[in-house]
Amino acid sequence: MTTAAVVTTIIMWLIFIGGLGFCFSRLGKGGGWED
Amino acid sequence: MAEVKRERWTGRTTFIFAAIGSAIGLGNVWRFPYMTYEYGGGAFLIPWIVGLILLGIPWMMMEFGMGRYFQRGAPGVFEGIGKKWEWAGWWPVSVAFLIVTYYTVIVAWALNYMISAATMAWGVGAAGAAEAGGYFFGTVLRLSDGPTVLGAPVLPILGLLALVWIVLFLIMYKGAAVIGRVSVWMVCAFWAILVVLVVRGVTLAGAAEGLNYYLAPDFSLLAQGGVWFAAFSQIAFTLSLGMAGMFAYGSFVAKKADLTNSAFITSFSNCATSFFAGFAVFSIVGFIMQAMSIPVGDVSASGLGLAFVTYPAAISMLPGGNAVIGVLFFLCLFFMGTTSAYFLAYGGVIAPVMDKFGLGRVKATFIVCVISFVVGILYTTSGGLFWLDMVDRAVSFYGLLITGALACLVVGWGFGAGKLRAYLNETSEIRVGAWWDWMLKLVVPAALLFVVIYGGFMKDISPGGYEGYFGWSWPIWTILGVTLVLSFVLQAVKTAKGGE
Repeated sequence: MTTAAVVTTIIMWLIFIGGLGFCFSRLGKGGGWED
Repeated sequence: MAEVKRERWTGRTTFIFAAIGSAIGLGNVWRFPYMTYEYGGGAFLIPWIVGLILLGIPWMMMEFGMGRYFQRGAPGVFEGIGKKWEWAGWWPVSVAFLIVTYYTVIVAWALNYMISAATMAWGVGAAGAAEAGGYFFGTVLRLSDGPTVLGAPVLPILGLLALVWIVLFLIMYKGAAVIGRVSVWMVCAFWAILVVLVVRGVTLAGAAEGLNYYLAPDFSLLAQGGVWFAAFSQIAFTLSLGMAGMFAYGSFVAKKADLTNSAFITSFSNCATSFFAGFAVFSIVGFIMQAMSIPVGDVSASGLGLAFVTYPAAISMLPGGNAVIGVLFFLCLFFMGTTSAYFLAYGGVIAPVMDKFGLGRVKATFIVCVISFVVGILYTTSGGLFWLDMVDRAVSFYGLLITGALACLVVGWGFGAGKLRAYLNETSEIRVGAWWDWMLKLVVPAALLFVVIYGGFMKDISPGGYEGYFGWSWPIWTILGVTLVLSFVLQAVKTAKGGE
């Protein structure tokens, strides 16, 4: 793979892992699951 | 608003997995990777992520939020905004119904191939690869010369379609509780299979060259409007919005539960899956290019051609384990298709029908399954592929985008974007700001209508029409018109309030 393709791969996984990591860090900081 | 006893997801995990399962569909494998390659490789991912944040996530929050606020499927939501708007909820229901009638046929093809792959029925080696196209169009579909030559249903596909609907009935007739549990299992299974397919793909000769086509960025294309159009359209299609189902899925969420963070998790998970699936697709494309000494332009890397011709051809050329990889690939497609199919059928059609007509779940599920199966027989005929293509263009392109834009406008201006935002923020784990109001009221509908006009209408009204069927594109407008008329008819039907 070219360097550009490798860099693209790394950046995208950082975005996804970072985004999901932030979302999971917020779990439980809102409402509950009981009516 | 009368208090209704609504069915509920058994917990957050089942809700999120059900939503992820609905969003991840065949398009994640056969549309996204090709769009990325076609529109600048890695550079395409910039407008795609921008589209996800500006378009996809606000739209998903709206559908989740409105469903839970009114505790109803799409028609009940719009009826709640104002009786005159109920049809705007039935239109996406009509769209979802038509989509699921042909989507299940594609799932039946995947089942057929899963069985065929066990014996590599289309052959192995170079001979098998050369035969892959003929096997799909000739042996499996028995394709006719055009849409006017229907022929009889192809019996193996008809039988498998019946099996698909039996499986869907068994998943759906007990409602959200079982749907959620099945989703957890199926989503985890197709993620696991995808990992196997990617590992197998990237270890093949030529894989790196294919991945370079997929990922190496061409930033000069970002200055062209077409790339932004392509990215926004991909986001519009990939999250299973505009098909009524997310309103119902949102209505099954507990009243104190978060919705905004769930929308973020669902959207990011779906997009990460798309990106990862691209490695399975383009490693195989690179392998085919090297094995057959052909340029990338000669490899069908999208749509049905990718799933049922290119991938089977690549499987034939594998140095070993052909049948195992073949079965796993089509099992993966089967899981992806099934989770989206019961979302369309249950969230998109059955839940609204139960709300409106007061039918019990088993009865409503049985009726919808039978009617959908009967309509789906059309696509199992020799001319079925042509009709599938036209109906797909009418409902999955125009229907989805137009009803989505309409929903955002009615909710944003009629119900009130600020009111909905305040409601979402009462329980949200990620609070949304005032920016979200303008996304819903202006940006999302404008972007969806831009895709309709620029990417669809301008092409389909040109001489020859869509794909040149019948010399013009009137079947597309007819199908779309029928769904709209049906929506007004369903609004006009008087019934006792059901499901209460």
